[in-house]
Amino acid sequence: MDDYQTCPKCKTTKYRNPAMVLMVNACGHALCESCVELLFAKGSGACPECKCPLRRNNFRVQLFEDPAVDKEVDIRKRILKEFNKRQEDFPTLREYNDYLEEVETIIFNLVFDIDPTNTNKMIDNYKKENKDITQKNRNRQSQEEMELEELLEAEKAQQCEKANLYVNAELEEKKQKHKAREKLIDELMFSDADAKSIVASHVQATSALAKEQPKAAAQPSSGVVKSSKFSSGIQIGLRGQHTNSFLPIPKQEDLPLYRYTAPVFDYDGPPPPPIEKLGKLNYFANIRAANITERAGGYTEAMSCCRALQEALGGLFYSPQLTHKTAVLATNPSTQDTDDMETT
Amino acid sequence: MLELKRALDAKGHCLLEMPSGTGKTTTLLSLIVAYMKAHPLDLTKLVYCSRTVPEIEKVMEELRKLMNYYEKEMGMEQNILGLALSSRKNLCIHPSVSKEREGKVVDGRCYSLTASFVRARHAADDATPICEFYEGFDAHGKEFPLPPGVYNLDDLKEYGQMKRWCPYFLARHTITHANIVVYSYHYLLDPKIAEVVSKEISKTSVVVFDEAHNIDNVCIDSMSVKITKRLLDKCSNSITILETTISNMKENDSKRLEKEYKRLVEGLRDATIARETDMALVNPVLPSEILEEAVPGTIRTAEHFVAFLKRVVEYIKTRLRVQHVVQESPAGFLRDIHTKVCIDRKPLRFTAERLASLIRTLEISDLTDFSPLVTVSHFATLVSTYTKGFTIIIEPFEDRAPTVSNPILYFSCLDSSIAIKPVFNRFQTVVITSGTLSPLDMYPKILDFHPVIMTSFTMTLARPCILPMIVSKGNDQVAMSSRYETREDTAVIRNYGNLLVEVAAAVPDGIVCFFTSYLYLETIVSSWYDQGIIDQLQRHKLLFIETQDAAETSLALINYIKACDNGRGAVLLSVARGKVSEGIDFDHHLGRAVLMFGIPYVYTQSRILRARLEYLRDQFQIRENDFLTFDAMRHAAQCLGRCMRGKTDYGIMVLADKRFSRADKRSKLPKWIQEHLKDTNCNLSTEECVQICKRWLRQMAQPFSREDQLGISLLTLEQLQSEEMQKKIQQRAQGVSF
Repeated sequence: MDDYQTCPKCKTTKYRNPAMVLMVNACGHALCESCVELLFAKGSGACPECKCPLRRNNFRVQLFEDPAVDKEVDIRKRILKEFNKRQEDFPTLREYNDYLEEVETIIFNLVFDIDPTNTNKMIDNYKKENKDITQKNRNRQSQEEMELEELLEAEKAQQCEKANLYVNAELEEKKQKHKAREKLIDELMFSDADAKSIVASHVQATSALAKEQPKAAAQPSSGVVKSSKFSSGIQIGLRGQHTNSFLPIPKQEDLPLYRYTAPVFDYDGPPPPPIEKLGKLNYFANIRAANITERAGGYTEAMSCCRALQEALGGLFYSPQLTHKTAVLATNPSTQDTDDMETT
Repeated sequence: MLELKRALDAKGHCLLEMPSGTGKTTTLLSLIVAYMKAHPLDLTKLVYCSRTVPEIEKVMEELRKLMNYYEKEMGMEQNILGLALSSRKNLCIHPSVSKEREGKVVDGRCYSLTASFVRARHAADDATPICEFYEGFDAHGKEFPLPPGVYNLDDLKEYGQMKRWCPYFLARHTITHANIVVYSYHYLLDPKIAEVVSKEISKTSVVVFDEAHNIDNVCIDSMSVKITKRLLDKCSNSITILETTISNMKENDSKRLEKEYKRLVEGLRDATIARETDMALVNPVLPSEILEEAVPGTIRTAEHFVAFLKRVVEYIKTRLRVQHVVQESPAGFLRDIHTKVCIDRKPLRFTAERLASLIRTLEISDLTDFSPLVTVSHFATLVSTYTKGFTIIIEPFEDRAPTVSNPILYFSCLDSSIAIKPVFNRFQTVVITSGTLSPLDMYPKILDFHPVIMTSFTMTLARPCILPMIVSKGNDQVAMSSRYETREDTAVIRNYGNLLVEVAAAVPDGIVCFFTSYLYLETIVSSWYDQGIIDQLQRHKLLFIETQDAAETSLALINYIKACDNGRGAVLLSVARGKVSEGIDFDHHLGRAVLMFGIPYVYTQSRILRARLEYLRDQFQIRENDFLTFDAMRHAAQCLGRCMRGKTDYGIMVLADKRFSRADKRSKLPKWIQEHLKDTNCNLSTEECVQICKRWLRQMAQPFSREDQLGISLLTLEQLQSEEMQKKIQQRAQGVSF
């Protein structure tokens, strides 16, 4: 326990100088803050232990007891920024695991300075090959992280809700108790009835209230979504029932069978001639005949002609004073319909 | 018996409260054994779980009596094998290993003598020491099962000595085909041990948890992890050991590491082929679908894994360097560990598994040094597996000594149902029983199961053997209570003192007093000393005090018993929830009166408790106060039950607190105590209490023979078969079923 943190340069310990802060740089050797200021007054210099050239701005506060871990974490963070493929990017779990191991080896090599030239080459290669995936993944959270975030959010929300709920419930209960007591005293003071019967009825009323309360307390909590599964996949909650029984069969609702009814259009004008009769009535004389390519697509002159006639005749009888009300009535259901469409 | 039979018929779980000393163990054993004989296909095995070794021995004694009776009545050998199992420490017969006093050391040394690689090495080179008893067992013991009979721990040892077989492994091996197994809770509840020992027990077994009033705490303890600074320092040491062994091995024998690596790449689990002696390390509960996945690549090679462990340990170290208390959920912890040291959830989940595999590969035979690291690995696995029902609390110092920095990380399980759930799911009948289980309805809630039978039995007694009283005020009419606001009040303390002195003057032989905590006991005793109450007390009886030191307490107990035996009389001041309140019986003259000073609430400021209460409230709709009262009352009842250990026994029970007379507390006492607690005895002053005591003691002091009990609480065979009695039994049976 008494191995206090010591600066290797000036031998100050945390015990003697509680304000001492150890710093580490890329090489993983610690120095206290004042030594850093002294040695790196120029902004750069060599590490007093390994003679590594270092910059002063790269010094950070040492987080861990073992400076080597600080160094490793530092390297790891740097590497993982590049090597950020996810399991989704691999076809099999096995390949993903192989990839993970490769990353680990690279980090390991960097930390212990094994074969630096090759390792750096590997990193460069990887960078070149996987530029776009890296870029893409940087903006994307992994599934696991998202899961965690969600959990945290849910926890927070639940906590808030519950705190409110229980405080309110307790207050309410206190109030009610107080009220009941006052009522009893009032009755005893002013009523002419037998004191015993008043007390008895009071006792009854309070016990009835007490019975009700647990129900009330149970209700709000049932509103909170209770998951029946742990994140690990183990079931929780009242499991005895569910584990033994099968899933309930989805219930068939007894609705009348669907029947097609042709839509009725309200033209608000003289009915246009039906599409089949257009040829007979000689409407096609006035329009361009469809060419072969158009026919191949299923187009006929009748379509555009019918459309044009419908547009021409529709709304001819429209008069604003008369139909205003009906128009409003007519539009309302239609907006509702579209709403339904969106929700479904 | 009727209820138990119903539960067995229904193949469901049941919860029975039976007063202590009324033959609970015998009843359970005789019915279940009879049931086993009658329906050998429905019920194959009885697993009887008790708390301590002496209790296990007691059960074995009862079982032996029962078997002797069977033999006498049926006139032939019974084909039933009963067996007790305990730790290696209690069963080892190896001449040097068995001398070790600490359980862990015995386990470690045993492992170093019996692990399969050690034996393999021995085969190649005779100098490697092995355990001859295990060898003997391995060579012959497996083919010849234990002959039927009842074996307690000593019998097993004797048998082992005779045959030169290791009794521990013999017992473990025999579990699979024994009819009755008696062992401690942990073998079934602790997931780390249960997987090793109790894996092969068939589904058609009955599991009995005796003295199970604390079962929820046992469940919680088995899933919780506590990490201190020292533990982490030890971890760092063992990591360096691992590092050196790995580098050594790489130089000398890199084949083995490669083999392990290949196996991990293939994702093959070796637990299925693990040999029985190698299972000293087990992973805590993991859902099997996770375990079947391959170990993630990040921790596949040994060096990477060691670096990974180092990071985990260093990270926890930084977390321990806090100035104020931190409480967070596992999810928060996982996110933080990811941002700080880049550790994902998945490799963390495999930590325990991977460590076990590594240690096996490295052939490290001395496991005792690695237990801290194993603890940390369990923690890592648990924290990444469960995001609900657990909480992490980091305290920089203890509440009692806020100036001394002693950071501790508690990973505390809040849901007692997690650990016990496999037991309920697996076995067809689980019987939970104790002398004090009231209020019964709390247990199904907190353990999350559906009992088919839930009953509290009372005693049929020939005379009023117990005298429960609630003393709420002193002679000066000052209310007595251990409430926080009044506990420092000298008037209250004086009144408690006067009560004890007057009771001590009136009651013969031994008196046991229970306080709510050690702290409270100390303050009260010191002010009694100042007020001269101690002197008055010592005029009547000798005074003994329980302390936190186990050795001191057992010395006090021995002398207390001595003082009671020779008629001098003694008072024992002890603490509810302490050692005395849990395992020690004060039968007959050892405990003629029990005084309960105050209600033994738990220390409510503890953060772990707070977190648990909150969880119970959210998950099971149990209100904080309900649980606290439940917990306090079960401990109070446990203390009161100490003085009553049989039908011929008698004792006074004084509950000295105003709050006991409230309905919510009173109704939570066991039925057999409530039955005797009259309304007139619920609000007494000291003086009244002593008057009642005197009158009652005079009544109880009358000669009491066996004949008095006959026909009421004791039946002869003729009486039992008489028509009147049969009718009564019939009535009872129908009355319950409708």
